[in-house]
Amino acid sequence: MKQKTITQSLSWLHTWSGLLFGWVLFAIFLTGTLAVFDKEIDNWLRPEIPAHSLDSREAAQTALDYLQARHPHARTWNIGLPNERAPTLSVSTGEQRRGGGQALDPETGELLQVRETAGGGFFFRFHFTLNLPRLLGIWVVGLAAMAMLAALVSGIVIHKKFFKEFFTFRPAKGQRSWLDAHNATGVLVLPFHLMITYTGLVIFYLIYMPAASDALFGGDREALNRALRGMPEQHAGQGRQPPQEVAGPAPLTALPPLLAEAERVLGPLASLSIHNPGRGDARIEVRPLLGNRIELTKGQSMVFDGVTGKVLRAPAESRPSLLTQRVLAGMHFAQFGGYPMRWLYFVCGLASCAMIATGLVLFTVKRRRRHDGEGALGAALYTGAERINVSVVAGLALACVGLLWANRLLPFELAQRGGWEVRVFFLIWLATLLHACLRPWLRAWQEQLGLTAALCLGLPLLNVVTVNRGDYIPLEVTILVIGGLLAACAWKIGQPAPERALRVRTEVN
Amino acid sequence: MGLAIATGLWLAYSGMIALCLGLERHYKQVWGRPPSSSRRRALRATGWLALAASFAASVAAWGWAMGPIGGLGLVSLAGLALVLVLPYQPRLAIGTAVAGWPVLALATLAG
Repeated sequence: MKQKTITQSLSWLHTWSGLLFGWVLFAIFLTGTLAVFDKEIDNWLRPEIPAHSLDSREAAQTALDYLQARHPHARTWNIGLPNERAPTLSVSTGEQRRGGGQALDPETGELLQVRETAGGGFFFRFHFTLNLPRLLGIWVVGLAAMAMLAALVSGIVIHKKFFKEFFTFRPAKGQRSWLDAHNATGVLVLPFHLMITYTGLVIFYLIYMPAASDALFGGDREALNRALRGMPEQHAGQGRQPPQEVAGPAPLTALPPLLAEAERVLGPLASLSIHNPGRGDARIEVRPLLGNRIELTKGQSMVFDGVTGKVLRAPAESRPSLLTQRVLAGMHFAQFGGYPMRWLYFVCGLASCAMIATGLVLFTVKRRRRHDGEGALGAALYTGAERINVSVVAGLALACVGLLWANRLLPFELAQRGGWEVRVFFLIWLATLLHACLRPWLRAWQEQLGLTAALCLGLPLLNVVTVNRGDYIPLEVTILVIGGLLAACAWKIGQPAPERALRVRTEVN
Repeated sequence: MGLAIATGLWLAYSGMIALCLGLERHYKQVWGRPPSSSRRRALRATGWLALAASFAASVAAWGWAMGPIGGLGLVSLAGLALVLVLPYQPRLAIGTAVAGWPVLALATLAG
């Protein structure tokens, strides 16, 4: 056999790893793109939470009044504050759990009956775990991200006319058009593809590359964290220390001036915890909203004395090594720069999805014409790839919008309602695979895209019919536009293109 | 901030158009004849200048830390939009860039 050139080898790598990992990567990128607006989707999924105009200080006071009246003896009060993106005011007692708590009506200060839902966080979690057990999922996604990096680099090398065809897109020319579309979405949005893939890997550097922490700290994550933050020992685990002696009762300091000070230092606030309320050793811990800067400030906080209101611990400045990692992670999380930046990430994410999808389609389009020569196995493989493509691209989109429909249609009182939404999501996805296997492939594309479009276009109507509340105009306009584009795709597939129709007949039969 | 971003986006789009027309294939695609070499050079220089100005607008909008990220995003999207419209409506793709400037100027005056 003749020695292959480097371009041929890379081309082979790009094709096959692109196909195998492309299926996973499309799912990762689509849900990641949706996760850019996770809070906004979450608001849609919890229509019982009313919009309001309270600022965070007023909201904190409302929550504090509620906690003082209902849970005077709890050791810790936690308050999640509303912000620009989400109107939810939540309270909980005891150890702070992420995303926990019950929603309060900010106006009346009473508990709200909110439907149980998988929430916008589902897309976020699926994005980095694929809903597998967390650690396994993170490894699978990491592997796919490495494959994505390899595909990007090999794609650049094998692209013969990178600059000459920089702006080239020739529609309605079959395989040529798919290649053009794949190249254009790949090349023009290349900085984003590279950045988002690389920074995605950097987030879980400790999981993917544990050697340093194992060697230096014997795998003790807590010790590593302390060293990274340059924190003195006694500050670690604030609020978790056993009470040495019970301090006497003492009134809590007024919140508003304290929150004003915290806001001055940290920027907009996300949440606060009050440890030992009503006692002499009360502590108030305030956490900033992510996104006042690029750095991902997860875990940062400021601690006040709950009686005197004095600052006990200012937020730690990250050391350069940690700062580097956190800025890279922050670039991935896209919590900075406000809504314009969020929209940029969303549209660039859609472009990534388009690049992966066109690549997947290109694989099958290329081979539709010539798999006769490759035997029964080759034919079976390409037919299989065709089916999986339909289910991964169109089917996943259908499952995503299906989850939104399930949120409105499942009975309010259903036990484990959030779990059922996720089950509906996966059942729809499975059904699309069956459908893709049973139908002629072109019909399968058309029907699944068409149904997705219909569900998107019908979503605002569904909201009016079922709950008829909430103000979701940005989300609804976006989903109408997406629905319109998908409908156009479905319609386009239905149009007989003379050469394509001919090719289909000679090959599928 | 909104105005700076809009300006950045329009500069990015105009810059991408100028660079695109600086390529013989696309100049022919729009105007039906090849460009003179001096025109091609002028188009390319204008394109790079506009992209640099777009970068500056992004920095003005988001600051030095976030600006470069936003700037690259704007250029990417402007390029993608251009590529998608160009084969269907080449004149429209260029007309949009030209028509955008007076609109932007009006918005500046009004705001």
